[in-house]
Amino acid sequence: MQAVKKMASNVYTSPALTFELLARCSTTRARASNLILPHGPVQLPMFMPVATQASLKGLTPEQLEETNCQLCLNNTYHLGLKPGQEVLDTIGGAHKLQGWNRNILTDSGGFQMVSLLKLATITEEGVRFLSPHDGSPMLLTPEHSMSLQNSIGSDIMMQLDDVLVTTSPDHERMRLAMERSVRWLDRCIAAHANPDRQNLFCIIQGGLDLEMRRECCREMVARDTPGIAIGGLSGGEAKEEFCKVVEACTALLPDLRPRYVMGIGFPEDLVVSVALGADMFDCVWPTRTARFGAAITRHGVYNMRNAKYARDFGTIEEGCGCKCCRPKSEGGLGVTRAFIHHNASKETVSAHLLTIHNVWYQLNLMREVRESILADRFPEYIKEFFGNLYADPKDYPSWAVEALQRVNVDLRA
Amino acid sequence: MTQGDGSCENPDMASRRIFKILSAAVGDGTSARLGQLALPGRKVVETPNFTSAYRPELDLYGARRLQVSPNPRARPSTDTDVVIEKPNSAIYEIEGEGEDSRPLHAFSAFPQEIPIILAARRCPAVTAPSGNTSKLLAIFTSTGFRNISIAEYAEAARKLKADVVVGPADLLHSSQAPAAKKQLRMTERTEDWLDQFLGQLKAGIRTDSNVPESFIFAPLIPVEWKIQWTYLRHLAEEVLDDISGLAVYDASLMPELSAFKFGHLPKLSLDTPQNPQDILRQISLGIDICLVPFVNSVSDAGVALTFGFPAPKAAAGIQPLGTNMWSSEHKTSLAPLVESCTCYACQKHHRAFVNHLLNAKEMLGWTLLQIHNHHVLTEFFKGIRGALAQGPGEFEAMVQEFATVYDSELPAGTGERPRARGYHFKSEHHQDKYNPRTWQDLNNNSNPGTEGTEKPHEVAGPDGQPPA
Repeated sequence: MQAVKKMASNVYTSPALTFELLARCSTTRARASNLILPHGPVQLPMFMPVATQASLKGLTPEQLEETNCQLCLNNTYHLGLKPGQEVLDTIGGAHKLQGWNRNILTDSGGFQMVSLLKLATITEEGVRFLSPHDGSPMLLTPEHSMSLQNSIGSDIMMQLDDVLVTTSPDHERMRLAMERSVRWLDRCIAAHANPDRQNLFCIIQGGLDLEMRRECCREMVARDTPGIAIGGLSGGEAKEEFCKVVEACTALLPDLRPRYVMGIGFPEDLVVSVALGADMFDCVWPTRTARFGAAITRHGVYNMRNAKYARDFGTIEEGCGCKCCRPKSEGGLGVTRAFIHHNASKETVSAHLLTIHNVWYQLNLMREVRESILADRFPEYIKEFFGNLYADPKDYPSWAVEALQRVNVDLRA
Repeated sequence: MTQGDGSCENPDMASRRIFKILSAAVGDGTSARLGQLALPGRKVVETPNFTSAYRPELDLYGARRLQVSPNPRARPSTDTDVVIEKPNSAIYEIEGEGEDSRPLHAFSAFPQEIPIILAARRCPAVTAPSGNTSKLLAIFTSTGFRNISIAEYAEAARKLKADVVVGPADLLHSSQAPAAKKQLRMTERTEDWLDQFLGQLKAGIRTDSNVPESFIFAPLIPVEWKIQWTYLRHLAEEVLDDISGLAVYDASLMPELSAFKFGHLPKLSLDTPQNPQDILRQISLGIDICLVPFVNSVSDAGVALTFGFPAPKAAAGIQPLGTNMWSSEHKTSLAPLVESCTCYACQKHHRAFVNHLLNAKEMLGWTLLQIHNHHVLTEFFKGIRGALAQGPGEFEAMVQEFATVYDSELPAGTGERPRARGYHFKSEHHQDKYNPRTWQDLNNNSNPGTEGTEKPHEVAGPDGQPPA
């Protein structure tokens, strides 16, 4: 095993953020780092659960803390509608609103352009929405997005970007979106009122066109934001394309900045993205799928509504350290699969318990990944991970095998 | 009770072992009193006290919510489990270990120190399509309506080993005021069923230990006392040794019990109170444990309870029993739900957050309200016990005072209820949704794909009426 490469100068500091690169995998592009944000330190790589409307569906902030979560997402678009900017200003921000003293990251509202595209008209000025609540028109400009996120008081704010579905065939529109995102970043930087206590991250756009992505990277990096996101992905593109975009971007990004791939949440995607050099991820899938009765485990996703769990008195995942799976003797709840099955999609308690489990799983996965990078045994960890997930190496997804091959890990070797 | 065991105590000690009356004047048990219900292996329940109507799934829910409370005492003292599953349900197969040896606790991962009471009917009851027959009890299980025999009910009770089991009762089906003939039949059936039930249990449940695995509470059905007089006499003279308490479905029967030797028995009221005044009335009549389902319904309504006992002295005008947290006046309020309340919701959060969560239809809003409302009820009963410790006269004076200070109706929440699905209600044919659609299709096509809209298309379970 090769020694971990230590960097001579491995710390970057900006007014509201300190990034310390601790170790790099000697085989892949994976990194382990510490990030100090206004509401405390976080360890990268990291998964961030999504508390869209200032609440992680059904959990109290304390229950979220128990999963060891140090940073969760809030959604600017949703908080702008409810409770609204005025209320946020009066209360003093989203931390105070939800009783959460750890870090918050807010998106810009830009993703809603993908998901609510039919409702939105995008011009140079900004995005004109129809409120899905009452149909009234709403205008989201870079300035307004900044103003909202300043009112929310998030530790990491995202620039407003012009998001297209990556699969859009309109090359010209894609270029316009990429260039506009750069212009909007300039407007966001100018409008950002609290750079001393809130970090603004840029978002790389450019669809699946790698050259356009590279161009965007150069433009964005030149603007020197304390962190960098790769956006517009997880919009239905092929996994191969996704990997190539992440790979192309991380190759051009400075070492001493956190790199955030937006909207990524499947465990395989996380592990491969880390190998490709990304540090931060968010996705609603782990918590949403929990509410549909699905448990994420190292052996795959179990549908707890399946009748085979009706008499299964084992824990959700053997050896899992989450509150639900730990036995009562170790301060856990000792919840059985049979109990989850009994009321999955009938009573909210199963949704809550599986949410706790799934969030724990995702955070713990990233913790294990980090430890393996620090010990410089990440390639072995990747093999164990895929070995646990698939009984037969022939079943390994080819996109993952190929992407990992390009960072010197041969999964099937 | 084991028969022929020389060391065995007098069988009628069964009840006294679990229930101790602390009030100086024991009387005939038809007036307010202090007591202690001590079930083996569980925390002692100081009475008067309350239990909320939980399903096993919600038992856990309640426990989870309350575990985050900084005050571990802010927990229900007892919990009523009102579900009998179908006989082949998994709950009968769980093999508990050590402290988890009781299936209901083990299955629901319920805290060990809290006793569970088992009864055959949900609360509020779900009306079965057909009523009971002379041999079959109509119940609503997690997999639909079933008619079970008394033998099956006894077998379920024997396997589930709840701390307390309420005997089977022929309760009202659809009519709230049945004819005398029907009332007589209800009485006769209940008597037959109880005998059969106790006989079945004796065959299995009490063989190898002095301590029964479950203590049986006999039902007192909502029938005029004159009609069920023979049943009451049967309880007092034939089966008193086998029962450890009474489950009272109509608290107004309590004064009539003075004619029987039931004074030593703990009384569980399953006569659901509409407000705290009803609770006080039941306690004045000698009820030891009240079932209080309104704690759930007010939380669902978005109401934070605000009453306390004894009532505050300096109150000006009629005081409301709760605050409607949907009201926009709380929008920016950083005040707790109730000033000086020590519950988790009030200590850690504020009105603005609860108001936001209700508006955003986030489940946590109802959870926080439930934590708070449970705490208010817990404190209310603590206040009742404190007053009784001062003396019965003082207690009655405070009850009078409470009636003059507080409004008699719980405030109705103005907003939407949480999505109703689960085991506690049954939707009906062509039933209207009780919450209006909250999003609209701006394109006039059938694509509901907004990001914030949860669309659990794979999940069965219709929206329906909230519990009454």
